[in-house]
Amino acid sequence: MLFRDNPVLARELLVNLRANRSFWLQFLYVLGLGTLVFMAWPNSESGGNQISSGAAQSLFDLFFFGQFFLVALVTPAFAAGSISGEKERKTYELLLASPLKPSTILVGKLLSSLTYLILLIISTLPLMILCFLLGGILLSEIVRAYLILILAAGTFGLISVACSSYFRRTSSALVVSYLVILPIALACVAMARTRDAQLRDFVSIAVLPPWCLAIWSLVVVLVGHRLLHPPDVGSEGKEVVDEEEEMKHAIGVVIDRDLFPDKLFAPAKRTDLMPDGTNPVLDKELRSEIFSQGTLMLRLVIQVSMFLSIPLMAVQLFFRPDWAGYYMAYVILFNMLVGPVFSSGSITLERERKTLSLLLTTLLQPGQIVLAKLLAALRVSTALTFLLTEQMLLAYVLVEELRGRFWTLLVFLAILVVTCLMTTSVGLLCSALSRRTSTAMVLTYLSLLVLFAAPVAGGQFLANFTGTTEDQLTALQITSPFAAAFSVPLPQHTEALSYQVEVKTQAVPIIPGTGLPLWAGYLIFNPLLALILFGLTYLCFRWRWWRAAEAV
Amino acid sequence: MIEVKNFTKKYGDFTAVDDLSLSIGTGEIFGFIGPNGAGKSTTIRFLATLLRPTSGEGRICGHSVVQDPMAVRRVIGFMPDDFGVYDGMKVWEFLDFFAVAYEIPRVQRKQIIGKVLELLDLTKKRDDYVNGLSKGMKQRLCLAKTLVHDPPVLILDEPASGLDPRARLEMKALLTTLGEMDKTILVSSHILSELADFCTMIGIIERGKMLASGTINEIQRKIQSHRVLKIDIAGEDLDSAAQLLRSNPHVRSVERFDQTLTCEFSGEDSDKSRLLGALIAQGVPVSSFAEQELSLEEVFMMITNGVVS
Ligand SMILES: Nc1ncnc2c1ncn2[C@@H]1O[C@H](COP(=O)(O)OP(=O)(O)O)[C@@H](O)[C@H]1O
Ligand SMILES: [Mg+2]
Repeated sequence: MLFRDNPVLARELLVNLRANRSFWLQFLYVLGLGTLVFMAWPNSESGGNQISSGAAQSLFDLFFFGQFFLVALVTPAFAAGSISGEKERKTYELLLASPLKPSTILVGKLLSSLTYLILLIISTLPLMILCFLLGGILLSEIVRAYLILILAAGTFGLISVACSSYFRRTSSALVVSYLVILPIALACVAMARTRDAQLRDFVSIAVLPPWCLAIWSLVVVLVGHRLLHPPDVGSEGKEVVDEEEEMKHAIGVVIDRDLFPDKLFAPAKRTDLMPDGTNPVLDKELRSEIFSQGTLMLRLVIQVSMFLSIPLMAVQLFFRPDWAGYYMAYVILFNMLVGPVFSSGSITLERERKTLSLLLTTLLQPGQIVLAKLLAALRVSTALTFLLTEQMLLAYVLVEELRGRFWTLLVFLAILVVTCLMTTSVGLLCSALSRRTSTAMVLTYLSLLVLFAAPVAGGQFLANFTGTTEDQLTALQITSPFAAAFSVPLPQHTEALSYQVEVKTQAVPIIPGTGLPLWAGYLIFNPLLALILFGLTYLCFRWRWWRAAEAV
Repeated sequence: MIEVKNFTKKYGDFTAVDDLSLSIGTGEIFGFIGPNGAGKSTTIRFLATLLRPTSGEGRICGHSVVQDPMAVRRVIGFMPDDFGVYDGMKVWEFLDFFAVAYEIPRVQRKQIIGKVLELLDLTKKRDDYVNGLSKGMKQRLCLAKTLVHDPPVLILDEPASGLDPRARLEMKALLTTLGEMDKTILVSSHILSELADFCTMIGIIERGKMLASGTINEIQRKIQSHRVLKIDIAGEDLDSAAQLLRSNPHVRSVERFDQTLTCEFSGEDSDKSRLLGALIAQGVPVSSFAEQELSLEEVFMMITNGVVS
């Protein structure tokens, strides 16, 4: 019953695999990886058909880490909607009331969301074997890599399914899955990158499997219990929440609307009618509960991230001021994860809540609606992100080396503002393009990854295997706030800091043809990009929804 | 006031609404009736400027629904069949939100919101959260929303669906009140009796086609061409009576059950009396001659079963 004749599994597999596009996606995926291998293939002049073991290793790393991140990013996208989707479609109770066992449901959901991903991974095996033939890699390493990938897919999938069963909305489940999974993934990568082969072996054989097993059994027990005695059926999640009451009970996350800085992202509720000329959508969005789509868990995660920033700041800003860029990267990552939560639901949520048809039959212009959504999301995302910059301000006041370069603080802050603008604009555009919030969210995260992280990660590969020059790389990185943050010149730390007071400055990457440093390029180029994105959002909203929309 | 010409909407191969035309005059209350999936909501969404037609056009107060949606939105109050409310908003905030969205100046807003709440008997709920209201209250709140800008045309999609009988009655009373306020109303339902009392016009739609439309009287007249007569005969010789009935040009079919002959009759009242006269003249012992009263539901069933075309 668990695997054979599992109706949940059968139905979902049928729906997923019947689509033609799943075949095409797989084809493109293998094609893309194949191209990578082809580009990295040793040309015959420079050394026969053997490549150096270093190059083989980095090709292998690319495959492994690339697929590992693919697993970490895509698993939640597939699995986070598995149970919350049933709740949203209101088929949850039907499913629970059927004679299916919780374990059958769970296994069905998990396998059906993972099958496609695992198919993708396995379809790259021939390419990996090809790399193996080049030499330099052990067969056992390849086997281990694939085992870890599949183990990771299972674990991440289960975590996502668990989130899915805990939250009513797929979007909440998705964000929380990402917030839980990404740190785990990063830790795993950090571990795998260690040079210490013995440690690596130990971890992969003796530590990972028991941990995964522990997570699996925990999730199975908890979710099984939840499916058997569901606490969340009935009122469709529509019970009235008295916000003021709830905020009092949200320990550590008390939001006091009357006090700074909370006023910034949660202004006081209205007690009287709006003044004339107010944009009602903006007013409503600003004053509505900021976490209305999230939950206590999301608040907690945000709070924890903020708390984490304190020790991080202590190390990076006070002991190694030259690492300020890393602290910035942390803040940017925070914004990258949290920003889309507020923007990617802007338009899709109106549809899902079935308020869009009410909104569209008023006299509001599409520009008014879209602008209001942008400003409201931007405000929350910026305010939350800038809470993490307090520590930087402090460091710039206290640390002498940093104080000497006060202007870099302004550059950092400007980079953050632009990043907030970008995350929000991308989220809003995806929201206008998608039908569902969860789709919009995945689309947003993927786009941000392409804009922000891919230029840095991909740059490494291009530099290694193709003839891309430093200049071209810099030009490619113009959309990445990470690259911009690291390009800000900071006083270099030297090992013998105590007696050798020598303040060097690292070389700043210059964008070819302009003479502008990378960070300046980022600050100029991206607001323009955001403007274009906003224009696209407006057009898209206007044509898709506002002007005689299809099936609101 | 409301005019639809040859509206067709296709979803792929499936035709949801097929060449539908209707015309509603000022002050009329038009009841739009059809079983689930007939295409009511599709037509209504088209009129509310929310749906692109495959072909055809619609006008409200002279403004084209497709070309000039803004002008149309100004004159209609629209209540969708399935709608949601915002979280964390109170009833007055909800109405204020839409009042601002309809560009009503602040000085008037206070008064209007008070009046609308009063009309819909929501004054006591003024400070409640909207997502905590019951279904019936939400329907009323949505109706209140459609009234804030005092539109001459109301388009209401199944305002009474999902309500308990009492709330249904209240909704009916409300719609009657609105009708008395000289508004042109298009209201849909899948239950005929819900609308028949206060509608001045009725349109019956099934599978995307308008089967019959017109004033209540016109529809009734159409029905009249399909009357059912029940004739009780005292004697034994029913066959010759049936023979006699069949020979009448207005009689379609005759069925015999026990001492009763049931026939479908398509004539006027005068034809009916002539038929009775003929029966008596032939010496048929008629003990009872009556027309079967059709309830509205039976009419509806007859029409949607394709008995009447
Ligand atoms: N977006 C859509 N895509 C495909 N079919 C649709 C869509 N919307 C409605 N339909 C179909 O059109 C028909 C009419 O629907 P509707 O107008 O909602 O009926 P009702 O009279 O119950 O309001 C139904 O059969 C429905 O399945
Ligand atoms: Mg309907």
